[in-house]
Amino acid sequence: MNNTPLLKINNLTVTYPLNSEGSDVLKALDNISLKVNSGQIIGIVGESGAGKSTIGKAILGLLDPPAKLVSGEIRFLGNSLVGLSEAQFESLRGNQIGYIYQNPMTALNPVLTIGEQVIEAIEANTDMRGKNAQEYAIQLLERADVSFAEDRLQKYPHQLSGGLCQRIVFAIAIAAKPKLIIADEPTTALDVTVQQSVLQTLIKLSQQEQIAIILITHDIGVIAETCDYVYVLRYGKHVEQDATNKVLQRPTQDYTRSLMASVPLIEKRLHRFALNEEDNLEDTSTGLHYLQEKQTTQDSTNEPLLEVRNLSKIFITPSSLLKAKQSFTAVKGVNFTVQRGETVGIVGESGSGKSTIGRMILGLEDITEGSVIYRGKDLKLITDSTERRAHCLSMQCIFQDPYSSLNPRMSAGENITYGLKIHNLIDNNKAESLAQDLMSLVGLKREDADKLPHAFSGGERQRIGIARSLAYRPDFIFCDEPTSALDVSVQANLLNLLKDLQEQFSLTLLFVSHDLAVIRQMCDRVIVMKDGEALENDSNDNIFEQPKHAYTRSLLDAMPKFQGLAQY
Amino acid sequence: MIKYILKRLWHSGILAIVMSLIVFFGLYVVGDPVEMLSDDEFTEQDKIDLAIELGLDKPLFEQYFTYAGGMLQGDFGISFVHNRPVLDLILERLPATIEISLLAMIIGLAIGIPLGIFSGIKNNSRASKIISFFTTVGYSTPNFWQAIILIMVFAVFLQWLPASGRGLTNSMFGIEWAWLSLNGLQHMALPAINLAIYKICMQQRLAKSGTQEILYQEYMTFARAKGITKNRIIRRHLLRNILIPIVTITGLEIGGLIAFSTVTETIFSWPGIGKLLLDSIHMIDRPVVVAYLILITMMFVFINFVVDVMYAFLDPRIRHQK
Amino acid sequence: MIDYNKKLATLKLQTKSIFSGHPIAIAGLIGFVIFVLIALLAPWIAPQNPYDLMVLDIMDGLLPPLSKLGNGTTSWLGTDAVGRDILSAVMYGLRLSLFVAFVATTVGFLIGVFLGLLAAVKGGWVESVIMRAVDLKVSFPGILLALMMLAIFGTGVDKIIYALIIGVWASKARLTRSSALSEMQKEYIDAARISAIPNWRIMLKFLLPNSIAPVLVMVPMSLSGCIGAEATLSFLGVGVPITEPSLGLLIANGNDYLLSGKWWISLFPGVVLVSLVLCINVVADRIREHNNPFLKSMNMQ
Repeated sequence: MNNTPLLKINNLTVTYPLNSEGSDVLKALDNISLKVNSGQIIGIVGESGAGKSTIGKAILGLLDPPAKLVSGEIRFLGNSLVGLSEAQFESLRGNQIGYIYQNPMTALNPVLTIGEQVIEAIEANTDMRGKNAQEYAIQLLERADVSFAEDRLQKYPHQLSGGLCQRIVFAIAIAAKPKLIIADEPTTALDVTVQQSVLQTLIKLSQQEQIAIILITHDIGVIAETCDYVYVLRYGKHVEQDATNKVLQRPTQDYTRSLMASVPLIEKRLHRFALNEEDNLEDTSTGLHYLQEKQTTQDSTNEPLLEVRNLSKIFITPSSLLKAKQSFTAVKGVNFTVQRGETVGIVGESGSGKSTIGRMILGLEDITEGSVIYRGKDLKLITDSTERRAHCLSMQCIFQDPYSSLNPRMSAGENITYGLKIHNLIDNNKAESLAQDLMSLVGLKREDADKLPHAFSGGERQRIGIARSLAYRPDFIFCDEPTSALDVSVQANLLNLLKDLQEQFSLTLLFVSHDLAVIRQMCDRVIVMKDGEALENDSNDNIFEQPKHAYTRSLLDAMPKFQGLAQY
Repeated sequence: MIKYILKRLWHSGILAIVMSLIVFFGLYVVGDPVEMLSDDEFTEQDKIDLAIELGLDKPLFEQYFTYAGGMLQGDFGISFVHNRPVLDLILERLPATIEISLLAMIIGLAIGIPLGIFSGIKNNSRASKIISFFTTVGYSTPNFWQAIILIMVFAVFLQWLPASGRGLTNSMFGIEWAWLSLNGLQHMALPAINLAIYKICMQQRLAKSGTQEILYQEYMTFARAKGITKNRIIRRHLLRNILIPIVTITGLEIGGLIAFSTVTETIFSWPGIGKLLLDSIHMIDRPVVVAYLILITMMFVFINFVVDVMYAFLDPRIRHQK
Repeated sequence: MIDYNKKLATLKLQTKSIFSGHPIAIAGLIGFVIFVLIALLAPWIAPQNPYDLMVLDIMDGLLPPLSKLGNGTTSWLGTDAVGRDILSAVMYGLRLSLFVAFVATTVGFLIGVFLGLLAAVKGGWVESVIMRAVDLKVSFPGILLALMMLAIFGTGVDKIIYALIIGVWASKARLTRSSALSEMQKEYIDAARISAIPNWRIMLKFLLPNSIAPVLVMVPMSLSGCIGAEATLSFLGVGVPITEPSLGLLIANGNDYLLSGKWWISLFPGVVLVSLVLCINVVADRIREHNNPFLKSMNMQ
């Protein structure tokens, strides 16, 4: 067995200038070393800003200016890759080293056919032309598990699904039989059920063709299932490296341990994520007091807080000259109840209707059929406007996208208290201090209340969103995938916060997610949805340990398995 | 695809009808058509006769149909000044306008687009900045001022090219064309250059920003990652994508050409429809102005329709729209 | 309430970030400010009031620059056929050109933004009607439309302004509508609706401030476009009345004398016109570049 590594990186540093003189720099990669052997699959894992994509680009000379490789060595089969000319890189790319992008829909040119793009790669890196190239293209697609390969050559990317396009991207990458493929988040943009099979295809190709793979991802489950060896990066710095099972189950570094502890498990439900939480230095007493003052009039009955009866939603596109009326049923006859203090989860893939249900409950979408009973009353039947408003304000929402859920032109504090001021529920002078109180409650600094949203990170913005909901002292909060857009450690922190708040203020939550593991950790009861229908509705343990519906079982099977830290 | 074309055709049809309704409304209801179509020499009786002839005593929608019907048959009235059918006047002068407009467009595309793509790719180079500056200046100089400068430099100082008139023509397909004679070409030069300068500047700016946007797309980086050479990437990926915005804007810009030809033809005394329009405005030859309005409107509707269809050919995403 | 100091500070910071490091744009901005000042102060700093027929002396006509006039003063830039001092005429012409362009651009902007916002928020037939009107206008080149309007309805400063407004509003409406539509998809609008915030507040405080940036970026372009359009129309004789010449009309007047060697009558107004439009365009380009998303994200990496 040849002992020279296929790829060796020593002390690589890549920087971005932060000002025009170049005196202030951001180190995207700081002194990174790694090694890949022939046929190996190694993983590079880290959260945003870790620099994982930068490594891939640096290897192939694809760094976008103004990024600069300032020091370090990259050796491929003993030859240095630093400072090569563009022509030299061109002969290397595709030929010896392949590259796979995260989003296949943007990696493929929308105005060229699949065939043109595959054959282009073949002609650039091999001697095949014309008819030979076309036949080879079909072979490649078949090897990447693309069905009806010959037909697909004529199609355009937008006509095919994401999973299919990604397989085509694989086919392109292996066209010239490269020795190494850099796969940058190859399954992140795909649906969960598709991810598994696409990943399997990648592994199969690696084994069949003896191609080494550098798998870059933030998804620990993916690493657990595919890689032999893994490197952990954080803000461009090396944290830890070892064989996969050692890093994932017995990490030596604090950060790695914290990272692994943040990954939500399927196996069992924990009380909290075991993180090294920093103590909140802010004084939260006024905030607590404000929220605990909440009126609890109709509390101690056993009636459910929220009842959804036979809820349906049909979206209709009106007929026009050239097409008939089209209707799409997003939600079909869904029934469930939510008791006070409970957390009910709705899980399903995209298009299952889970968000639409929430939007109907909150009044953002019209109800086609059925009714929503909240606190014993149907909103549609309430005529008194004050009661109506109180009813509405008692139901709040935490949104999914931290970058679009806050008004960019209002400060954090204004975002939080604007509604209260408008409805005359609070004085203007009291509003400022309330905003600060609430911010401290969710773990943010009081003095940051004047800052605009763009000064905050994603996780911090979500906290502002939580503070905004809490300002109304709601009984019920609809959580619409509140952590899907966040890094796993930020997610864990936020979910811990939600659990804390729920306990302190007896909130009732309806929690929607596509991530089964998050649902497992957060919810008392779970509803499984597919294509608008509620397939199963049961307690947390029953759903995850003894699923009754075949679809639930298939969802559980599709999730990448991660055992969790050894201490569990 | 067929559906898309039909939809566009439908929209164009509606647009054409609405435009004709607006013109009709403007003329016959808001303005006084008798005043519009009569001149100072008409007596009261003449005016009454005209009114009856125009059918003004008939109900409104019947008037509209008569008017529309007349148009469809090519009857646009008689010019006061020239005492000939307006349609004849316009058709006579159309080739002259087409000549310089076409030439200007060709020059504009041939020079402007490559310059723009170059500036887009080599954004930070000295050459690119100089080119961009010049096109900004060109873009900022009003059409008529450019014409004056051209005349002063090329006709008065250097005396290379003539400053007015169309020169000698030769005929082809029964139409007189200036580009078929050397003398005619010399006369065409300055007006065409005048129109072309603005075109070059617009195309360069457009091609530059389009190129920059495309270069930023992920599929461009992915193409490099595949190992495709840079030249091939530009030829294949960039050009195919950039055609879409360029064709769209070029089609719409034909309108701009016709508009600016009014100024250019006036300054260079080039006998095209633009000059006809302006002269008619000054001489209050209303039938000509009205006919021009209608014909140009229809032309624009048609051009927009063609552009929409071409768009579908170039962009497969539009083609496959449900 | 509104903190003016903070707003001023943010404005200064933004201006600095847009312009620093771009000397051409700064020069353009300074040039524009100078032109505006000249236009505003014209009645006080011009040597002569060129619109006052009593002051003009035809014996002073067609004198080259630096000649002495009948009343003893020096005409720095020469005089035109009726004895108007070109320097004064240029200042007043600048005043008129800028006035027409500012009014047309501002009114067109306001109308366009209002209609675009309305179309986005109301949808339905309101949106259809407004957007069809926009399509109609856009499929016509502005100059031609203005030309024909002026031909039918007559000329005059107010009519030109109307014609130019028609030229300006459509693109603003379209841009505002598409910007507002994409903002409406964002979750902070949903959050406002859940909290029962009234629709008019959502429009004014949430939608409008966040949709208007791309439209504002286009305003300088419209301004320079209006200046050029008015100049062209006046040059063609369908613009401002001959008693109150704008820069375009001054150039037209001088056109007849170019070939006989009296170059100053057209040249100076022409140079001023081109410089003015160039200054605005240079600034407009810089603002557009600054706002362009792809450039922005490359800086954030």
